[in-house]
Amino acid sequence: MSQRTERRGIHVDQSELLCKKGCGYYGNAAWQGLCSKCWREEYQRARQKQIQEDWALAEKLQREEEAAYASSHGSHPQAQAHSQPSLAPFSKFEEKKTNEKTRKVTTVKKFFSPSSRTTPKKETHESKTPSPSIARQSSIETDRVSREFVDFLKNLQKPGREIHKQSRAFIESMANKKDLSAEELSECVQDFYQNMSDRLMTHFKGSSERVERVMDQVEKYIMTRLYKSVFCPETTDDEKKDLATQHRIRALHWVTIQMLCVPVDEEIPEVSDSVVKAITDIIEMDSKRVPRDKLACITSCSKHIFNAIKVTKNEPASADDFLPTLIYIVLKANPPRLQSNIQYITRFCNPSRLMTGEDGYYFTNLCCAVAFIEKLDAQSLNLSPEDFERYMSGQASPRRQDEPDSWPQTGSSVNPALSQVYHNLDLLVGLNQRQEKVLEGARSLQTELTEWQESVTREVQEILERYPLDIRPHASAIDSENVENDRLPPPLQPQVFAG
Amino acid sequence: MTAMKVDAKVVMLGKESVGKTSLVERYVHHRFLVGPYQNTIGAAFVAKSITIGDKVVTLGIWDTAGSERYEAMSRIYYRGARAAIVCYDLTDSSSFQRARFWVKELQNCEEHCKIYLCGTKNDLIEEDRSLRQVDYHDVQDFADEIGAQHFETSSKTGNNVDGLFQKVAEDYSNSAFELMPEEKGVDLGQKKDSYFYACCHH
Repeated sequence: MSQRTERRGIHVDQSELLCKKGCGYYGNAAWQGLCSKCWREEYQRARQKQIQEDWALAEKLQREEEAAYASSHGSHPQAQAHSQPSLAPFSKFEEKKTNEKTRKVTTVKKFFSPSSRTTPKKETHESKTPSPSIARQSSIETDRVSREFVDFLKNLQKPGREIHKQSRAFIESMANKKDLSAEELSECVQDFYQNMSDRLMTHFKGSSERVERVMDQVEKYIMTRLYKSVFCPETTDDEKKDLATQHRIRALHWVTIQMLCVPVDEEIPEVSDSVVKAITDIIEMDSKRVPRDKLACITSCSKHIFNAIKVTKNEPASADDFLPTLIYIVLKANPPRLQSNIQYITRFCNPSRLMTGEDGYYFTNLCCAVAFIEKLDAQSLNLSPEDFERYMSGQASPRRQDEPDSWPQTGSSVNPALSQVYHNLDLLVGLNQRQEKVLEGARSLQTELTEWQESVTREVQEILERYPLDIRPHASAIDSENVENDRLPPPLQPQVFAG
Repeated sequence: MTAMKVDAKVVMLGKESVGKTSLVERYVHHRFLVGPYQNTIGAAFVAKSITIGDKVVTLGIWDTAGSERYEAMSRIYYRGARAAIVCYDLTDSSSFQRARFWVKELQNCEEHCKIYLCGTKNDLIEEDRSLRQVDYHDVQDFADEIGAQHFETSSKTGNNVDGLFQKVAEDYSNSAFELMPEEKGVDLGQKKDSYFYACCHH
């Protein structure tokens, strides 16, 4: 009985549940009312079209690059012949590269087509991205980097061609290695760097500056192209670590400058400015593709931190000041995909830069900061374990507990956004007061007006009463108003005729 | 400074306020500063070129945070370092105990890293001998035992500071060419995959 009433409550007709295509199976709202089979067909068709377009675009770009290269070196029939057969697998790679973020889709597809391995062509088609705009954007960027690379190598003439050829061949070879673990991929790339720089070293006869310059370009070209397939790859648990770190940092939102002993005073405008810039830089790291660019973001962030410390303390910062401040910045920024980025840089950056130079120093400090945040406990903040537990569970907040009366003011020193909010609230209160005053004025004006009106009425009434209107009765002769009455002959007197 | 190619990584280790930063500051900028000073933005990383014979060696000097709360992370700092200057305060015996801790760590984790023991604030001792809490000969014995070099410096007077870094650079310069092939920072052991050559053949 109860079942019946429930059914009546929903009001769904049997026919609405069926697939819109009318195949007789049930449809699903998530598949736009189609059944799974029809939906797949529909979806596949739309995607197939997209794939064709993307592929055409990739091929076009590839041809343009080839043409640009060929024209810059006259015609090298041999080189052309060499690169021709590699065109197909390369564009396949291009495709593979553009699909990231479709992990779920891919796994679902794999589930549906267990024979994907035997039909490689089909597989590449199936693992296409459903978001064409992202794919386009990335291929535009890839294209730009490729063109820059070609332009750069033009200056090197013959060796430039060789470098281009090898880089391309390397990228192709990497496309066939997507099953390798991240560490093996890293090794391949590092090996390539090593081989390339060895060759360049012989060619430039030991001028390490020139080798470095070329290597920077090679790194940029290769890593821009490989980025999608090697950043946070499926074979690792980088993504899981990213999420764990993100949650951890979120849970630590209550950590204050004082607990970390950060020598930075955000009340000073220049300091808070530097802090904001440092946070921006560390967040921006995720948007870069080339390891060197990511490192540059970390370095720039560090420079802002040094500036903040310098202004606050009036003396140059040491590592004892720098590391806590960096930890504080990381906690405040909660940079996206932090672990993935660190892993990516470690795996694919040119090692000479990472191990010794200034960039390497800041990168190492960032690694330390992350390690510290992961292991952070009561002791490392000079708190009692009980307090730490209470703060972590959100039962108490250190800020309000310490200064319950003045927490808005403390808040302003802790968070510029909060201080802005307080400032705006103050403004609103002021506005409210003014508005009330205006309203009060309006009201008194109104009463004044009413009173005036009443007094006028009263006065009029009084005068009216004092001088009542005296209306005298008129002699109502019909011709009284006639002006020419005088000229009229006197009215006839009645005469009595004695008769 | 960023563009400077660094040959060797040198880490400064030591308890907070033993004077790591002052030591670097004295060496690089030839000054000892008391109170507020503004010209340098930070002394946490410095690259310094030194001429050894007819070669130029560039040391990248890494300052590290000495506080105990970062102890667990110190390993990340000295990874790949070619030399470590372990500092302790001559007037503070506890700082030498901490120095022993770092020496042990280094021996366990970085066998290619040369260790230099450096007692700081020697000028204070010279003013007042009774302030000395770390005996010279004890340290010398310890240094011999672990195969380390031993210096006592003053960043205030500059005494022995140049000598310390000169020695670091010399040792590096002498050992660099023996270690070079295998010590490039990344394990390049298994390069026999030969994809690189394979793709150049067809």
